[in-house]
Amino acid sequence: MSKTILIIDDSASVRQVVNITLKSAGYEVIQAEDGKDALSKLNGQKIHLIISDVNMPNMDGITFVKEAKKLPAYKFTPIIMLTTESQEGKKQEGQAAGAKAWIVKPFQPAQLLGAVSKLILP
Amino acid sequence: MSFDKEMQEALVTFTVESAELLESMESGLMELENIENPEETINAIFRAAHTIKGSSGLFGLDHIVRFTHVVESLLDALRDGKLVVSSDLIAALLPCCDHLNSLIEDVANGNVKENPEVTESGNQLLQVLRPYLETPAAADTNVVEFQEKIESVETIAGNNIESGNWHLFLKFNENCLRDGMDPLAFIRYLTTLGEIVDVTTFSYTMPDAETMDPETSYLAFKVILKSDADKETIEGVFEFVRDGSYINILPLENRIPYYAELIMSLNEDSDQLGALLLKCGIITQRELEDGLKSQQVRADAQQPTLRLGEILVEQQVVQQPLVNAALEKQTQIKDNKARENQSIRVDAERLDKLIDLIGELVISGAGVNLRAPLSGDDILQELTGEVMRLIEEVRDSALQLRMVPIGTTFSRFQRVVRDVSKELGKDIELIISGSDTEVDKAVVEKISDPLMHLVRNSMDHGIENAELRQQRGKPARGTLRLNAYHISGSIVIEVSDDGGGLNRDRILEKAIERGMVSANANLSDQEVFALIFEPGFSTAQQVSNLSGRGVGMDVVKRNVTALRGSIEVTSQIGIGTTLRINLPLTLAIIDGFLVGVDQSTFVIPLDRVVECVELPVDVEHRDYMDLRSEVLPLIRLRPLFNISGVLPRRENVVVVDHGGNKTGFIVDHLLGEFQTVIKPLGKLFAHLQGVAGSTILGNGKVALILDVSTLIESIDRKNTALPRNLTHQST
Amino acid sequence: MQTLDIEGELTIFTAADQKPQLLAFLESGDELEVNLAGVTEIDSAGLQLLILIKREAAHAGKTLRFVMHSKVVVDILELTKLTTAFGDPVVLAYNEE
Repeated sequence: MSKTILIIDDSASVRQVVNITLKSAGYEVIQAEDGKDALSKLNGQKIHLIISDVNMPNMDGITFVKEAKKLPAYKFTPIIMLTTESQEGKKQEGQAAGAKAWIVKPFQPAQLLGAVSKLILP
Repeated sequence: MSFDKEMQEALVTFTVESAELLESMESGLMELENIENPEETINAIFRAAHTIKGSSGLFGLDHIVRFTHVVESLLDALRDGKLVVSSDLIAALLPCCDHLNSLIEDVANGNVKENPEVTESGNQLLQVLRPYLETPAAADTNVVEFQEKIESVETIAGNNIESGNWHLFLKFNENCLRDGMDPLAFIRYLTTLGEIVDVTTFSYTMPDAETMDPETSYLAFKVILKSDADKETIEGVFEFVRDGSYINILPLENRIPYYAELIMSLNEDSDQLGALLLKCGIITQRELEDGLKSQQVRADAQQPTLRLGEILVEQQVVQQPLVNAALEKQTQIKDNKARENQSIRVDAERLDKLIDLIGELVISGAGVNLRAPLSGDDILQELTGEVMRLIEEVRDSALQLRMVPIGTTFSRFQRVVRDVSKELGKDIELIISGSDTEVDKAVVEKISDPLMHLVRNSMDHGIENAELRQQRGKPARGTLRLNAYHISGSIVIEVSDDGGGLNRDRILEKAIERGMVSANANLSDQEVFALIFEPGFSTAQQVSNLSGRGVGMDVVKRNVTALRGSIEVTSQIGIGTTLRINLPLTLAIIDGFLVGVDQSTFVIPLDRVVECVELPVDVEHRDYMDLRSEVLPLIRLRPLFNISGVLPRRENVVVVDHGGNKTGFIVDHLLGEFQTVIKPLGKLFAHLQGVAGSTILGNGKVALILDVSTLIESIDRKNTALPRNLTHQST
Repeated sequence: MQTLDIEGELTIFTAADQKPQLLAFLESGDELEVNLAGVTEIDSAGLQLLILIKREAAHAGKTLRFVMHSKVVVDILELTKLTTAFGDPVVLAYNEE
């Protein structure tokens, strides 16, 4: 059974690349374009990992993490935040909210895959 | 659809998306001045830049990332209220949007590579932004530098570690499961770095059933991992669970000697313990920083200070024996530095000048010594004798100045052997001895390349692969030795391996096939092995796979000969091969054999002289003679140097050896052995073939030193009809 | 002999519910068997529950066997080299869907 990953980013091209990268590695991928959209995808389906951007319209990444942690079916789901080095404060905030893994933007597909496979192998 | 195809499509999405974002950025910027509460607009503009930067990074469009990064930093400052909106600022930002637009267009047109001209115009735009973000820019640079530093460390560590067996002890923080971090996932991930040899799962911290919290992590693991990855990489596996976890990674006990050796072989300037351990990949940057921090903490707390090594051992990031090795290396480096401080660096040219002058002093002294007895003054004679003794002592010490230990040349090979054995997939150990043996600096410089050739050759063709070695009952790890010692005025450098040895029969077969020796020749092992240095032999490509020795050995031989040295091989099939280079200790002094032709005197390097015979009367004008039933080609020095004068009653032949071939020089008189200082010929005569230099004799006359090799070769070229046959060689 | 079938996940998401179930099952007899054929997913939380009941059973002098390990269970036991520590014959009757 392949593992399912939810990618949340407001950039369509980022989502597309993440999607291609992870799919070719053998993961299932669900996409959401912001926190709000992502919450609607947390509808009970099994999700093994969430990758979320921080800066997004409608609902930012930190708020989304806090919301997701309230849902029993997703409160233990590992979350990778996409941060930038200038966002040290955001990273702390994200960690406090329960997103313990992070990737510093800009990143290359291989880096993403490396971080993901540490948490779940396909 | 293929991966590349999909990425291409994603790239199209990127360009379309970026164009849209830039459009909104532009319109946002335009209205910025005219709206009451610009926060949301600023946010949107920032996000647009942020998204473009992030996406371009994904596609590896680093030039776009770099440009956007600066723009983003400025927008970030604007968002945080560190900057205020002004028309100047907007006027500076708008061209940046245009520039980004053209960069994106370039990508859309298929030019994903950076165009230096465009970058240059971009940089000019960024210059305008600089004043606005003086501080943030500085901070950013720091970040970038820091990352680069880390990277370089990784590469160093990566290079140094060939293979390693690691011992991991992992006790993850209690909350890791609640954070979605599954310890078993990380252990499973380790299998992508290497092979898990063994795992022991511990559950001793799990309390009784009642108090056990099913969502708390109690498990601990001991993992033995066989992996080529360095410590930094392995530690990186746990980066997301590091906080509050106990992650301990150590080289396995049986790898300690390997690392200890690696530390000792480091060519490191830094005498800092941490740097040494870091460079070997035994500790990670983080472990070092933690160690230094806790050292500082202790110091601040006025506690008795611990040394870094003690702290690292206490924190169990490294074993005691490795710290000991590093301490030893540290002392060694410090000693070296101390020694360096005691020595004076002297321009080699000045030294040569001094030696040159001393050479002349010796000669003038000899002149004085010659004249002194004629004066009949006993005291003068005694005094000149004393002066001569002192002069010779001065000459010897002056030559000593040029002497350096060969160890520095040798130790460079540690690295070479490590790299080459990795390249070849062989496990080879280098053992160095005789590092303290001293030799003229000029010799050291010139022997480095031939040595490199021999070492590579031994590793490549000499030492068998592990499989074959085991079949032959040898240890899987091959051994290569570099050794040096002094023997009667010369230095001997040995390169030996415990490989397959030279195959006498195959070499002989090859040589006969190539017509280098006659089929019925009766050659000693020595003579057969010497064939590998023959030009015709070693250029044969398949030889390298055949007999174990190969390409370019003739070059080595030529280089060694040019240094007035010799090379020989001893080899035992199945046991190994030793190549022995014999070199003069110095290039500045020569043991010569003096010969006279009419009034002129010449010096032939003594080590080339095989024997001297009288010229048989029946030779007449032929260019060869019969030497114990062998043909000996002859070179007459008289016509060669245009010397006329009366022929003596009997001429003499000095038989010299050149690469295993003998040639006779016809001279008038034999004047005997003579040690002398070589004076190089002036620039005017630099092109002269056959003369290696000059020296001044005790009577004040100049004698030319013959360059035997070039002399014979130039004569050879003129007269190719001369029979050359290796079977004439006798050792 | 009592048998307990574990169905579905044996993970951090279900551990809190499964722990009391497993402990209650421990009280149900002296000869116990846990059927793992229906386990679709298992992680460290699940593994440490298995370790827990095995240990508790041993303390109480009871026999508890894991049987019919599903593939995911076998995988994790192999990874952690616990197959022998548990001492139950792993019958390779994967119950893959």
